[in-house]
Formats: sequence, structure tokens, C-alpha cells
Amino acid sequence: MKVSLNWVKDYVKLPDDMDLKRLSYDLTMSTVEVEDATDLSENFQNMVVGVVQQVQQHPNADKLKVCKTDIGGEVKDIVCGGTNLRDGMKVAVALPGAHCRWHGEGEPVEIKESKLRGVASYGMICASSEIGLFDLFPFEEEATILDLSAFDAPAGTPLADALDLNDIILEIDNKSMTNRPDLWGHYGIAREIAALYDLPMNPLPHFDRNVENTAGLTITVEDSERCPRMTGTQIDGLSVKPAPYWMQSRIFKVGMRPINALVDITNYVMLATGQPSHAYDSDHIAGHIIVRRAGEGEKLQLLNGKDLPLSNDDLVIADDAGVVGLAGVMGGAKDSILPTTNKVILEVANFQAAGIRRTALRYDNRTEASARYEKAIDPERCDQALDLSMALFAELYPEMKVTGFVDCYPHKLQRAEIDVSLNWLERRLGKRIPNEDIAKKMGELGYDLTFDGDNMHVVVPTWRSTGDVSIKADIMEEVARMYGYENFQAAPITTSFDGAINQLDKDLERRIKEYLAIRCGMQEIFTYPWMTDQYVSAILQDTAGILSLSTPPSPDESLIRSSLLPNLCKAVVKNERFFTEFSIFECAQVFRDADYTTPYDSREKLPSQRKNIAGAFAGDSKNVTDLFRRAKGVIEMMPRYTHMEGFTFRQEEKPVWADDVVWLNICLGDKRIGNLALLNKKASMACGIKNLSVMLFELDVVSLVPFRSRTNSFTHLAEYPMTDYDVSLLFDSETQWADMQRILSGIHNELFHGAAFVDEYHGKQIPAGKKSVTIRLTIGSTEKTLTSAEIEACAASAVKKLVKNLGAELRGK
Amino acid sequence: MKEKLNALLQEGREKILAAKNETELQDIKAAILGKQGGLTALMKEVPKLDVSLRPEMGKAVNQAKAQLTELIEQHRNDLKLKASQIDADFDISVPGYLPSAGGLHPITQMCYDLNDAFRSMGFEIYEEDDITSELYGFDNLNFPPNHPARESMDTYWLSGHDKGECWDKLCLRPHLTGGSVRYMQTHKPPYRFVYPGRVYRNETTDARHERAFFQYEALIVDKDFTFASGKVMIQSILSKVFGREVPVRMRAGFFPFVEPGFEIDMGCLVCGGKGCSVCKQVGWIEIMPGGTPHPNVLRAAGLDPDEYTGFYVNIGLDRLVMMRYGVDDVRLFHSADLRFLKQFH
Repeated sequence: MKVSLNWVKDYVKLPDDMDLKRLSYDLTMSTVEVEDATDLSENFQNMVVGVVQQVQQHPNADKLKVCKTDIGGEVKDIVCGGTNLRDGMKVAVALPGAHCRWHGEGEPVEIKESKLRGVASYGMICASSEIGLFDLFPFEEEATILDLSAFDAPAGTPLADALDLNDIILEIDNKSMTNRPDLWGHYGIAREIAALYDLPMNPLPHFDRNVENTAGLTITVEDSERCPRMTGTQIDGLSVKPAPYWMQSRIFKVGMRPINALVDITNYVMLATGQPSHAYDSDHIAGHIIVRRAGEGEKLQLLNGKDLPLSNDDLVIADDAGVVGLAGVMGGAKDSILPTTNKVILEVANFQAAGIRRTALRYDNRTEASARYEKAIDPERCDQALDLSMALFAELYPEMKVTGFVDCYPHKLQRAEIDVSLNWLERRLGKRIPNEDIAKKMGELGYDLTFDGDNMHVVVPTWRSTGDVSIKADIMEEVARMYGYENFQAAPITTSFDGAINQLDKDLERRIKEYLAIRCGMQEIFTYPWMTDQYVSAILQDTAGILSLSTPPSPDESLIRSSLLPNLCKAVVKNERFFTEFSIFECAQVFRDADYTTPYDSREKLPSQRKNIAGAFAGDSKNVTDLFRRAKGVIEMMPRYTHMEGFTFRQEEKPVWADDVVWLNICLGDKRIGNLALLNKKASMACGIKNLSVMLFELDVVSLVPFRSRTNSFTHLAEYPMTDYDVSLLFDSETQWADMQRILSGIHNELFHGAAFVDEYHGKQIPAGKKSVTIRLTIGSTEKTLTSAEIEACAASAVKKLVKNLGAELRGK
Repeated sequence: MKEKLNALLQEGREKILAAKNETELQDIKAAILGKQGGLTALMKEVPKLDVSLRPEMGKAVNQAKAQLTELIEQHRNDLKLKASQIDADFDISVPGYLPSAGGLHPITQMCYDLNDAFRSMGFEIYEEDDITSELYGFDNLNFPPNHPARESMDTYWLSGHDKGECWDKLCLRPHLTGGSVRYMQTHKPPYRFVYPGRVYRNETTDARHERAFFQYEALIVDKDFTFASGKVMIQSILSKVFGREVPVRMRAGFFPFVEPGFEIDMGCLVCGGKGCSVCKQVGWIEIMPGGTPHPNVLRAAGLDPDEYTGFYVNIGLDRLVMMRYGVDDVRLFHSADLRFLKQFH
């Protein structure tokens, strides 16, 4: 919202030496965020009123004129293409150094003394659009020069002075005052400033309500819930004419467009008091005015031309013939101000906030009026607006006559009353503020306070009683912000030692993420909780039990993830364009439309929400074994490096997306807690993965069991050398390393200290149906250095076991 | 002859020590001790000498030979030890092998930094589920019944769970504060915890708006805690995270679940508060809302608001990370684009 400081000065006397920076800062700290404070006159520097003494044809250009122009004390030649130039015309002259928009377009450029088609020109005679004043001085034909002849300013007068544009405009962040309906007009802002600096307020004019209702105006409010107050005032003796310049310029300066005096009065009143109003052409109002809900099927054409099919939830202003306006949002086209209007019915009313908001949103038609009603304006404000409106009608139309006034006020607003304990206030503020100081500031804000011992009885002003201020914490806030948040001494925070914080599950999750990222070289990613249908059908195939959004971000993204894999695969596709090898992981919640529980409030039922961690290793499809072993290694070592109970691998239930051979279930005890598998070709193609093979894993984090502390124990260092002894053996192709491991772990020989897989080989030198596996045996004694014969003997016994149990053949050392 | 020998010895020593490599040394050795060498020539002259001089000179020449031979060997050893182990054309500017290049998401990194800072001040870390009910998302938090945020344009409601009483309606949490009430309902005061998590808003995205973003809530609930102490807390945390003193100011702000509510600004780190394009010339950057928990929120948590009060902040993690690195598009955080994420290792 834009606020004109000159306008504010109508209501509160600001000191002449008011520091603008200070004002913006204080308002920001205590009331609303002032985003910007602009001195409007800066836009009109080096611009003056000029008087064209003589218009001559340019010698070298048909469309240009050379104007001998008095710019105050001197007469200069200025070349201009204006079509409405005439001798004696007062114009706006941009002197060298001024900034204008050529033909009202583009960025402002600096005006320089120059030659135009061979004739020297001292500056520019401007159209209103060239100096940002089009809305204030609109014109239709191109090249129309701004005619200032009506202004009483001699040549040479600075333009900003002549046009009353010496003003400061404060730009206030609307978001920062959504809870303050009282601030949506200049009067409300003036009241805050008055209270901040202890300045007196000027009262608004008063309008005598004792009017004889000769017009026979009647108003019926059918829905008093949605319309707590409705006033109608019939005024005769009017006409449609431009508003006086002072009113137009004020409206313009705060960002609205002047229209005509009748409309401008309603806008001016709204900008001044925050209370919207609307003027109907009373010739077009048939009989009664009724405030009611729209009937289904009723229609209304709005002032802006929009045709609306109305809903039963819309509150409308109607007459006997039908709907004339959408209450609190916009008037109808038929019955608002027309060029012929000479009497009006002025509606100053109060409407319930939520209903107005629903209607404005329903038709995507938020207006200055609806934006204010949405904030919950108090019905008493109608009086302020009426008073000011009538004063303005009287000023602009001295011959006008009020012929009817009706005030339907079915729900009189009660001022909120709050009792506050002064001790409580002191405890919460950390400071005792004298009663007189509180009373003074709060009084300036419109509160009535009485003190009785520890109790402070607060009567809230009407303009804060619509829900804004209702409890003692609100009063504390008012006191604190007026005293100044910066003026409270910060007290140190005390600590109590109730034992160290020990959160095993949180620590484990962090260790796993750090393990994957730092030890395993994987990159953590985040994706949305919703999945794209394409990846759901590629990976999960079945959508049973998957929750969905009622208003999804896009039609194919309604399903909420039950697994992290679809989004992970989507991320693989994305990154395949730029990388040939990468590994990524994500840790996030997964959801199922199942296993509803009531962990908190007994009425609430929440669906299954677990947390998973999943990863993808994408790499060259020519070396899937390598990819598999890398991924498997990451899972195998995870328990050890992150200090939790270990996993086992089994093949019990193949995931639907997994390759027929390369898949494993990850188990913790007897429980399956995840999968590790190669994405099969079909799923990979359905995802749109072009070249890479992808190993995926997914684990249920909630099932993991962190160790309470480190558990592995120290092993003594060998005193005598341990020997690594490699043997290569031929096995049947089907024989698994797990089988060999089982046999080798059954060896009970004190010299044998374990066996490790080195590599396996299929190829030309190996007979069909066989494979060569190299195994590294660790052999040594705790009592002496072994002789090579002893080592050989130990190795031979291990080989013999493999030969006997698995049919291995020794291939050579 | 004696003089000749001495001169040869002197010259030989100097040459040997000046030799820069094996080849040079070999050449010098040949020039002195070789068949045509200077010393060899001298040695051949010894038999021609007067017999009385022969033994003395013979001894002297042999000594000289031994000395020079030893010196050559010694210098050869020195040269060997001094020599580089690598080819002479080795390029010292070739890059090193990089350790495996993985990393945590920049938001996780910031979250962990905050966790460490808050834990050092005795805060517990709390987490809650993403799906919540309207009861916890709004009603318990003092959102009026017709608050705009409840409508579908702002909240992701679940289909089949978008009608009925507030406890029947389920949504992706629009903020974390509802979860804080769950914590308070199940723990005994005083409270001191942080609550990081992702929240969801149904809105149009652009460089500054996202449908899913991260918040970091911190809550203290205790008896007689003044809001001014909250400022101390924020100042300590931000200074730890950013590694230097960060000025903080609290100004009037409004949020349904706090009273009084604040907008909390931190001094712009880019310009040091002088005003720049990042802070829109004001020297301050709005970083989080905060305030004293609203009495209705404390009541929903089963506490007496006359007895208990506290301080709450809700840090926008995305915003903080954007500040930390100068990221100008919030949508990058959920892009899963490794070209972006690899920049934060």
C-alpha cells in the first residue's frame, strides 16, 4: 500500500524536521514494514512550467514546431512535435539534465541541449506520458502535449511545486499488515505515527445524520451474519464531472487512477479511512435495497465488464429488479455511476471478511475494496467514512441535497475488554513500565485503561476489536512494540543440566548419510514427495495402497511416494545427460494408505509413514558385475561404519523392478528391511534410461538398530608374520562364493586365519561350465614363524576341503 | 714434479666436486686417472726419476691417486642420493587424483550445522511425520476457521481425506509448528528442542517460491522467559553458523501461532549493513518469523499459558542456504541436478 506523507499530515501534525529515515525505521520496527520511501519530486527535477510565446514551423521538418518558450526569466527555442501546441499555452518543460521517457516508453533518458534537424532545442516540451503522469493527465491522440494552462503557476515554477508533487510516498508491505484492518487507510497510519511520537490527531469532519428521508429510501439486510451494517445515503443535485485537482493528484500519487468526481470521492474516502464505499445511480435502483445471498442461476455483469454466474455463497446488493452489485467486491455495470448520473445512493457498509474473500477468489476478482473487507473492518468505521464522504460531496457539489439516509446496524460491535495483571506483564517483558507510560501510549492508540491494584482493565478501540486484539498477550505486544522492542534488555538464557542429550536414532541417520556421502562418494539429492506416473508404472507397477493428493502439482503427479525409487530413477534419467557414471541417494519419508494409527489425539487417524533411505549407482552397462559389487560393498559395510546391527542378504522375494538374477533382499535377523538389485531392462526402458545400468537399494530406516556405543573389541597384533597365500581353483560355474565361504569357515586349524575372495575368471583357458576363482588364504602362527613347508601344508588342507566338498580342481598357484 | 703433482691434485679435487652428474664425473675420472689421464702420465714419469727420489714420489703419486679415487666415489654417492626419483621432464602442475566425490545436500549441511549449534546449547532434535491432520496443521495453532491457508490453493490435501471434521482431514504439513504441539503433548516442560523438516505449499513456483521447502523450528518453553532472551538465542546460533558476529533485530510481525510475533532480520552479510542489492538497500535481511507461542497453542499442548511462556523461531533453511552460497533459484534444491549439488562438497 502506498501512503502519501502529505495526506497523513491532514490527520497528524508532523514536525517540519521529521527525519524520513527515522520514520520509516520506527514504523518498520513497531508497526508495519516500510519497504521504500520515495521523494516524488525527484522524478521532476529540472522540470519547470513554461509558457509558449510563439509557435513557429520547423524549417526542415513538416511535423515539428519551434516554440519560443518562456522558462522563467529567459526565453528559449524548444523543438517539439506536439499537435496541440498554441501561442500562450502553459506546458511542462524538461530542461537539460531532466529525465524523461521518450514517447512514454522505455527507461528514462537524460535530456540534453541538442540540435533537431538543424535547429537548436533547449530541452523538451513534454506529453504527460513522458514524465510519468499519464494516469493523472490521460490523452487519446498521439503527440498531445500536457496543457497546464489551467494551473496558476508562472513560467519557471518547478513542475513538482506547480502540480503538488512535492510529497514523500511510503511503500508499505501489505503482507505485514494483513492482521491490521485499521491500517488500510491514511488515517490509521496517521494514528500509529501519532502514538509513536506522541503527536495530537486532527479529527475527521462530522456529518449530521438527522436527514428527512424524502426519497423514501429503504434497506433490508436479509443476511445480517454476512452484513453486520449497511448504510444508504441518497444525494441529489450531482453531476458527472472531474474531481478537483487536489483530489485527483492525491489519488494518483498513491497508485490509483482518477475517474470522475463521484467515483473519486468513494476512492478517496477508502484511501483515507480504509472503508470502501460504492455509489449507485439512484435512477437505476428499483424500489428496495436488499442485502441477501444470490440465488442459484442469478447473473451479474460487473463494472469491469465481467459476466458472473452467481453462487448461493455470494452476498449481493439487490433491488426489486435483481442484483446490482457484488457486496464488498465490485458494483454492477448497469447501476453504478453512468455519464448521465445526477443522483446517487451511497452505500457505506460492513461485510463479513471470510465471505468477501471467498467471493473475490471465486471470480478471481480481488479489488481494493475486497482486499480491505477481507481483513475484517469494524462496522463503526462506516461512520468515519460517511462523515468524510458527506463533507467531500458538500465541498465538490455545494448545491447537493441529502434526500434520504438509512442505517441498518443489526450487529453492533462490542469493544473487546481484557484484564491484564501488571505482575504478569512485568514478568513477560522482563521490565516494569510505569502505569502512566502505558496509559499514555495505549490512550494514543485508542485504548481506554483503568488500573486497580495489580489489574489493568483494557477496553480495546472498535477498530482493533474485530479479532485482532482479544487476549492479554495482544496487550503485551501493544505495550512492548510502543515501548520499542529494541529497548528491552536481553536476559541471558539459563541452562539446566538434566543429563546429556542422547538421540541414537538421529545420530544413526546422520552417520548413514555421512557414510554414503563421504566414505562411499555418493551425492545426496532431494526430490518431491509426489511421484510422476511414468516412473510409478515403470518401477512399482501397482498403485494399490498409494496415497494421492486431491489437488496435485500436475495431473500426472498425484501419487504420494510409497518408495523412493521412482523419483530416484527420474533423477538418474535427468543426470544421464551430463554424467556417464554417478551414484546418488535420498533419505525421506514414504507413505501408505494402510496401518492407520492414533499416536496423539484420539480422534485423529494417521496413515503409515516410514522413513527410507535409497540409492542408485549408475554406470557402464558393459560392467554390471563391477556395478553390483560396488553397490553391494556399500550396503555390506554400512552396519560396520555406522555402528548398527548387521545385515544379511537373502533371496526370498524378488522386487518387481529387479533383474532376474541380480537381486537380494536385505535382512535384519528374520525381517526383510530392504532390497539391493539391478534395475531390469524393462523398467529401465520404461523410465527412459538410455545407456546406463542402474543398481538400486532401498532400506527401511526405522527398522535399523543403532548400537548404544561402539561394540567391536581390540585384537592383538600378530607377533609372528601372517602370510597371504593365493590359490586359484576351478569350480563348476554354479558354485557360489557363499558355498566356498561356508566350507572355508568350517576349517578348524589354528594356523588358518581366514580366506578372502580375490577374483573370478571365465574365459578361453577355462573349460566350459567351469570358472576359476582365486582365493587368498591367511596363514600364520601365534607362536613362531612358519616354515614354507608348514604354510604349504596348511594351504593344501584348505584346498583339499574345497576339492572334497565342492569338486574344486587346483589350477596352479 | 712435486709441484706438478700438487697442482694436479688441487685441480682434480675442484673438478670432481663441481661435477653435476654421473657423466661429468666419469669424464673427469678419465681425464685424471684414465690411460691418457694426467696422473697416469705422471706415474709413468716416476721410473725416470733419480732413484733416491723414486720411493718418495712413487708414494706421493699413489696417495694422490687413492685420494682422488675416493673423492670421486664419494661424490658419485652424493650425486645419487641427491638425484630426483622421477624423470627430468616431470610436470609438477598435473592435478592430483581426487578422492571420491560425494556429498551431502547443501540443505542437509546447513541443517547439521544448526543441529550442532543448538545441541551445544542443550537442545534436543525432534522430527515428525510429513502427513498431518487439519487439527494439528491449523486448529491447534490458532488459525481462525476461515483462514485462507486452509483452502486448497495453499495446502496439499490428500484425496479421500479432504472432507469432514478437522481431525479427519489430512494434508502434507504446511509448516512444522503443528508437530511442535505433538512434542509438547508427549513431553514434560520445560522444553528446549529444534525441529527440522520439509513443508509443503500448493503454490505456483518461481525462483523464490517452491512447493516443498525446508524449515527449522526451535522452541523454548519455560516459566518466565522473556522475548528479549530469544534474541540472544538467535544471535548465538547465527553467529555460530556464519562464523562471525551477526547483528539481529526483531520487529513487529504477525503469525497466528505467536503473540507477540516478530519478523527477525539479520544484518546483511554481503554489504555489512551498508545497503546493497541483496538486501534491497536496507542493510537487513528478513530471515525468520518468531515470537512467543500463542496462549492457544500452549493450551493445545496442555500447558497453562499464565504459567508457561517461551520463544519460537522458524528458520527458512532454503533462504539461509541461498544466502550462504548466493544461490538465486530455490527450485535448484529439489532439482536433483548433480551439476548443482556437486558445487557444495
